[in-house]
Amino acid sequence: MRGVLGHFKELDSAVEAITELRTARLGDVTVFTPTPRHELEHAVEPPRSPVRMYLLFGGLAGCMFGYWIAIWASNYWPLVVGGKAIGSWIPYTIFGFEVFVLVGALSTVFGMFIHARIPRLTMLVGYDPRFSHGDYGIWVECAPEKAGSAEALLRKHGAVEVRGER
Amino acid sequence: MATIAYEPKRPNIASANVQLPAVRDYEQVDNEITATLRPTKAWFASLLLAMAFLAFGIASWVYQIHQGLGVAGYNPPVMWGVYIITFVFWVGIGHAGTLISAILYLFRAGFRTTIYRAAEAMTVFAVMTAGLFPIIHIGRPWKAFWLVPYPNWRLLWPQFKSPLVWDVFAISTYLTISTTFLFVGLIPDIAILRDRETNPTRKRILSILSFGWRNTEREWRHFARAYLFLAAVSTPLVLSVHSVVSFDFAMALTPGWHTTIFPPYFVAGAIFSGIGMVFTIIIPIRSWFNLKHYVTLNHLDAAAKLALFTSMVVGCAYIVEFFIAWYGGVAAEQDYFWNRVFGQWWWAAWIMLTCNMILPLSLFSQKLRRNPAWLWILSIFINIGMWFERFVIVVPSLSHEFEPWQWTTYAPTWVDYGILLGSFGWFFMWFLLFIRQLPVIALAEVKEIVPPRLKHAHAHTPANADDFEPETPGAHN
Repeated sequence: MRGVLGHFKELDSAVEAITELRTARLGDVTVFTPTPRHELEHAVEPPRSPVRMYLLFGGLAGCMFGYWIAIWASNYWPLVVGGKAIGSWIPYTIFGFEVFVLVGALSTVFGMFIHARIPRLTMLVGYDPRFSHGDYGIWVECAPEKAGSAEALLRKHGAVEVRGER
Repeated sequence: MATIAYEPKRPNIASANVQLPAVRDYEQVDNEITATLRPTKAWFASLLLAMAFLAFGIASWVYQIHQGLGVAGYNPPVMWGVYIITFVFWVGIGHAGTLISAILYLFRAGFRTTIYRAAEAMTVFAVMTAGLFPIIHIGRPWKAFWLVPYPNWRLLWPQFKSPLVWDVFAISTYLTISTTFLFVGLIPDIAILRDRETNPTRKRILSILSFGWRNTEREWRHFARAYLFLAAVSTPLVLSVHSVVSFDFAMALTPGWHTTIFPPYFVAGAIFSGIGMVFTIIIPIRSWFNLKHYVTLNHLDAAAKLALFTSMVVGCAYIVEFFIAWYGGVAAEQDYFWNRVFGQWWWAAWIMLTCNMILPLSLFSQKLRRNPAWLWILSIFINIGMWFERFVIVVPSLSHEFEPWQWTTYAPTWVDYGILLGSFGWFFMWFLLFIRQLPVIALAEVKEIVPPRLKHAHAHTPANADDFEPETPGAHN
């Protein structure tokens, strides 16, 4: 992995640089931002996050498990009360719901980890602690012959620091 | 040259019209909020006090374990007392955290931003505190695992139709999800602390806890979706958990308990008591750490309106309870409610009514809603009132059931009070340790409502840029 890292102080400078980098197709662009901004999201034009599917399928699996465990346990260890169903789905909706939330929410976090690619053991190249503080970063992963163009483009849009990394 | 049309009214998160005019840039946010990690004398004094309370509580519990449950104030048939009252009280406190965080997030209520972290931490520690009480209540804590519904050869089979088993599932789910919600929200902030940290050991710990978060757009995108969906599933969870707690009572035939109003009544009460505890916590913090320009009077004002609203819902529930008792025409129910308000338990009922219905009406005054000292004093009354609400629910019903020969009285002993006091020590000890280690105001979310630095500055000024309180330091500079 090799490329060029541009360091920006201003949001609009970073947005302009991203837009032009994407047009010029110099390489894959990774954006670092201290806080999520719509402006950056619009410039990057990412695909929709699939995290919601984890909630859906995790939740459904949890809901089924919640109902199943209550019905199965009631039938396996029956507490027979005259005139009452052994497995009663109305009160068992509480278990269905609670386990829906439990498994669904944990699956959502799992999905976030998968797609955000965390936990990460190393910070890899292209990261600078200033990006969590208040500055913006643009990492352009590109071939050595395109590094010069990427560097010039980043500087043109007001990068306060540009450096090659590998 | 293209310029960005910066629109402060539509940032990424809920901000509504609650701006932070005295906060100018991201550096200021980091520097001022992370200052809370450096303890003050007031913090040390509070921690010492909390640990003293906890020590007294532990001593009381050890004494009870040694002597047996007889040293608590139980007086058959009043076999639910201070411990169950305090359990419900802390579960209720635990509800406002996820309410403020999740529901207000979904409703885009801007005043949430600077108070939700404290409220979420409060939730986790309150539920941790509540979880101790069933164990204390059973008297023989080494048998606590019997509470868990698993098949065994003692003929204690899982009874999934029992509200107590519903409670086990509901509260353990709530604790897990609240902790997850708190921790997920903390990840970007821990990354900020990691990048600022100079001590190598602490830096390594923070690196592990931040999961190698790098602030990429990709991470933020999935984080934002996950956070939104966590909020979406946490919202019905909040409502369900206290409803399930109310079923512990409402499923019994005891006078005063067997009523369908209990789930909404308990949920509203939980939100009300939680907001009260948020005031109890956040008002000293904003003063100790000079964060008045983050938790502004506008924020307190908005939260006070929520407290007023929930107080009126709770008050309405009290009145409807009396109405149902009268209109239902059941003699035992009518007698019970008369005994509650004008008979044996008049003092407890009137403490409840005064603290929860009458005093919060002061919040109709904007001047008082914007007076932190009054809000803090009122929050103490709300805490007291909500504890007494649970007292009034639990004790008068059990002491005044259908048969007059069953009627009795109940008086907590010093052991009950010691353990109650210890629970406050336990809760505040964890909370104070939390704010010493992690930011009590969400750094990344506050940055979302602070205008970003722009190369092409525009002339746009937020409409309410000057609409902030005079106590904000340096506000008009």
